[in-house]
Order: sequence, then structure tokens, then C-alpha cells
Amino acid sequence: MRHPILSLALVPMLFSAPAVAADAMNDLQIAHAAYTAGDIDIRYAHLALALSDNADVRDFANTMVRDHAAVNDAAIALVTELKVTPEDNALSQALVKGAADKRAELMSLEGEAFDCAYATNELAYHQVVNKTIAESFLPAVTVAPLKDLLEDALATFIQHEGHAEHMVAQLGCAS
Amino acid sequence: MSRITRRQFGGVFAVGCAGLLSGVREGRAATTHQVEIKSFHFDPERLVIKAGDTVEWINHDIAPHTATADDKSWDTKTLRKNKSGSITFADTGTQTYYCRFHRKMVGEIIIE
Repeated sequence: MRHPILSLALVPMLFSAPAVAADAMNDLQIAHAAYTAGDIDIRYAHLALALSDNADVRDFANTMVRDHAAVNDAAIALVTELKVTPEDNALSQALVKGAADKRAELMSLEGEAFDCAYATNELAYHQVVNKTIAESFLPAVTVAPLKDLLEDALATFIQHEGHAEHMVAQLGCAS
Repeated sequence: MSRITRRQFGGVFAVGCAGLLSGVREGRAATTHQVEIKSFHFDPERLVIKAGDTVEWINHDIAPHTATADDKSWDTKTLRKNKSGSITFADTGTQTYYCRFHRKMVGEIIIE
């Protein structure tokens, strides 16, 4: 699980993350970053459940908690089965830093302003995560079960992206 | 009204007898039909069965799903990956349903 072939060039401003040096990632680092990305979205969702009264936003947030937890539970089961430990890395660290900044921004908002900020962030976040999985993680990963898990995860996150796009439209958020 | 049963985690928790009796009354054995849940779709989306038959939904997605009647009269409850849930339909009619977690997922059962 150590074929360093992934470029981080796709890691974007949309993560609200600082610039990440173009580097290579191995399977264990990809697993760590994917898990981290899911965990971050669960935390965004818990924030939405705490701050939003909008039924559609809360419904979306509950789906994020449920689906991302399912994916991350499967990831934990896989690394346990393979007896490996995911490796922290620059991408994971950038994701965590970017998410902390975004949560601080979201927590300063309320009402419709919060709902729109949460919804538009969810759309942007899933667009970038999905692009990263499809164009960087999947071509790079070398372990079949991890590739299968990422493919299942991507199928799920594509649905989330569509749901987020619908939510943004329903809320009438300015682009 | 349909008699509802649910099967999860590979075990049969309950089996309604109304559907079976309905099938017996018609001189035919009740059948179990499978609906695969994959890539956020019910497959088949439209299913034609006989009164007394059972429909079993099997979730192949990593995301949890449900099959829930539009009128809320029956619900498989949460189906995690590779788990299944069953409902027996005793009465004729049309049952439309959806996934409570992913509202775009819809299906229809015609009970003849």
C-alpha cells in the first residue's frame, strides 16, 4: 500500500484550506484523507442540526451523518481486517485546518444566512471531494478492497452532491 | 391493508400469515419477489405481484436505505449494506414507496 503516485494538485481552495504542496500519497494516506473528509462533513452536519430550523437543511444534515458514518464505519472495518493503520498526511491536515476555519465562519451565522452558507459549502465540498476521489484517489489506489470502498463512497457522495445542489436551489441562495 | 413483516440481519423476525392464506385461497403458493437496491435505485422500480406475495428488498449500497410506503402504512426500517427487509402484501392495489433517506429513490408495486 505504498505507491506514491498521487498529486495533490486537486486539493482546492474550496476546502478553505491553505495551499498544499504537490506531493504524492500512498494507499494509507489516501485512506486517512478519505476518512478525514467524511468525518469533517459529519461535523458540519452536526453543526447544521444544532443551528438550523429549516426542515430541508436538517433532513440533508441527517443524511450526511447517516451516510458518511456508514462509509467511515466500512473504512474502519477494512483497515482492521487488513491490519493496517492509515497515515496522517498533508492533505488530511489541510482538510482539518480548512474545516475549522469554515466551522468558525458558519458558527457566526444564523437563520437563512447560515442555511445558505451551509448548503453552498456542502455543494462545493462534495464537488471537490468527488473530483478528488474520481481523478486522484481511484487512479492511484493499489489495494482492491480500498478501491472498491472508494467507488462505493463516490457513488454515495455523487448523490449527496445532487441533493446539495437541489437544497441550494430550494433555499434560493445567491451564488 | 397489507400485512407487514420485516426481515433484517439475515433472520426472519416475523412472518404474516394473512398473505400466505390469501395465496392458498387462490390455490397457489405465495411467492417472494426480490428488489435489489443498488446505486441509489430500486431494481426493478415497478413490480407486479399477486396478493399474498412477499417483496424482499436487499440493499447493496454502502449507504443505508429504506423502502417506505408513501402513505406510511409499511416500512422496512433501516436496511444497511447487504441487509434485507420483507413486506407481505395481502390486498390488491397499487403501493408506491420511497427511501426515507434519499427521497429521489422511488418504486411501485402492483398487487393483482
